[in-house]
Amino acid sequence: MTTLSIPALPASLELTALRQRLADAQGWENKNRTLVQLARDLPSLPEAFRTEDHRIQGCEARVWLYTDDQNGQIALWVDSDSRVVKGLLALVWSAYAGRSADEVRNFDFAALLQELGLSRFLSSSRVSGLSAIVRAIQRAV
Amino acid sequence: MSVWSAAQPRACFPLLTQQSELIWLDSAATTQKPLAVLDAERAFYEQINANVHRGAHRLGHAATEAFEAARSSVAHFINSPSRQQVVFTRGATEAINLVAHSWGGSQLQAGDEILISMLEHHADIVPWQMLAARTGAMVKPIPLTDALELDLDALAAMLSPRTRLVCVTAMSNVLGTRPPLSRIIAMAHAVGARVLVDAAQALAHDVIDVQALDADFLVFSAHKVFGPTGIGALWARMELLEAMPPWQGGGEMIARVSFDGTTYAPPPLRFEAGTPAFAQAVGFAAALNWLQQQDRSAIAAHETALYQQLAAGIAHIDGVHILGAPHDKGPIASLAFATAHPYDVAQFLDNADIAVRVGNHCAEPLMQALQQHGTLRVSIAAYNSAHDITRLLAVLAETLELLA
Repeated sequence: MTTLSIPALPASLELTALRQRLADAQGWENKNRTLVQLARDLPSLPEAFRTEDHRIQGCEARVWLYTDDQNGQIALWVDSDSRVVKGLLALVWSAYAGRSADEVRNFDFAALLQELGLSRFLSSSRVSGLSAIVRAIQRAV
Repeated sequence: MSVWSAAQPRACFPLLTQQSELIWLDSAATTQKPLAVLDAERAFYEQINANVHRGAHRLGHAATEAFEAARSSVAHFINSPSRQQVVFTRGATEAINLVAHSWGGSQLQAGDEILISMLEHHADIVPWQMLAARTGAMVKPIPLTDALELDLDALAAMLSPRTRLVCVTAMSNVLGTRPPLSRIIAMAHAVGARVLVDAAQALAHDVIDVQALDADFLVFSAHKVFGPTGIGALWARMELLEAMPPWQGGGEMIARVSFDGTTYAPPPLRFEAGTPAFAQAVGFAAALNWLQQQDRSAIAAHETALYQQLAAGIAHIDGVHILGAPHDKGPIASLAFATAHPYDVAQFLDNADIAVRVGNHCAEPLMQALQQHGTLRVSIAAYNSAHDITRLLAVLAETLELLA
């Protein structure tokens, strides 16, 4: 399979900055607006890689995940045709990109959603979709 | 024609008065319930509750009378020649499964054909596929024209002496399309085929008369016509019901049981094994009686006006259009977006307390024909108002700008 050179992500998507933005957005309308803004900052996966091979099943929206092991660190690229989901994927990216296999296995994504006040806003189908993505990343390391 | 004002019916619906900001545009999934329905079920439980068809006591007789009176109300609502032609089921889905098992299982064989409209809900597709797998009969889809109407020329070419059944909706749950039922039924009868009409969506909007339609089977659910969940009905021609074997065994459906052999009750009880949903039947009748007390032609005109308001508004918003322009359609619109994801749009509508449905609407073959991954469906009912549509259009325009 062709490999993909993964772009550097903007500073706005560093976990600390992103945590602050989502925590500051009060109410679910503002959180959704923030997620849509975050989606704009996350580069889109090239069309050639938006294939069934890279699709994560179990999501309402279509979601694609591309991972690569770069000297013991996970490189990943995530995308979706839904802006709100893509905003959540920005969070996935900031939590996992560049981490070691051990860090990937030990990171508690559900706790992050809880901390940012997102858990109670997300439907159960969104939460299970996100878990499917996290499991796919953990399988990749 | 009198003018229908949605303020008055909205006041009949406790959920809508208690949540005054809620804009309910998901009535095709389920309707809200008028107080008359809640009162009827509560009164039944408070004053009559007893099992039906067996009481050696005052309440048993009263419950049986209430249950059979509910059957008469349903029969009357669709102009059935008799109440014995109304079989209570859990809903339209179970009614179709009943016909597939009992009529289909006893009548169909290898080589027979079942023609199913492309507009159908999964409930009117999957039971027939299961029947086809058991009997060797074949299921064939009736295609659509570019305007998303049923292609009657194609149907005419498909009909043959091998055709045993044609399945068609009275109103598409995705597009609102009303196929020309009388014509389709006449075409099917001309080759000796039976017709099953899925009236689940139509019943809350259209006057359905089974005798005028000349249908063979007609199915519907109470919860889509202001009634309770867990109950619906199959209507069928008496001679068909009389020839149909039972499909579930148990109490209520027998004439006489012995280990040497059991004989079955006549229709409709033959098809109602076990304790029926009798309190829900009373609620179902209350819903139909409530609707019949309203000015139905004024409601229909009101719903059409709201649909036209919606269509005119959508035409002025970039990045969205209504799928299909059939000649005859009910107050249901499926919205397709140029770039926005329907789930994202629905999320922002939900933030504004506007309830719609997104996805494939249990009609994947139709979605494949439309080349859509999913649509956002707006469905209108008697209690909606011009304000509801104005607000939907405003939030929709704002959302699409945000997502652009």
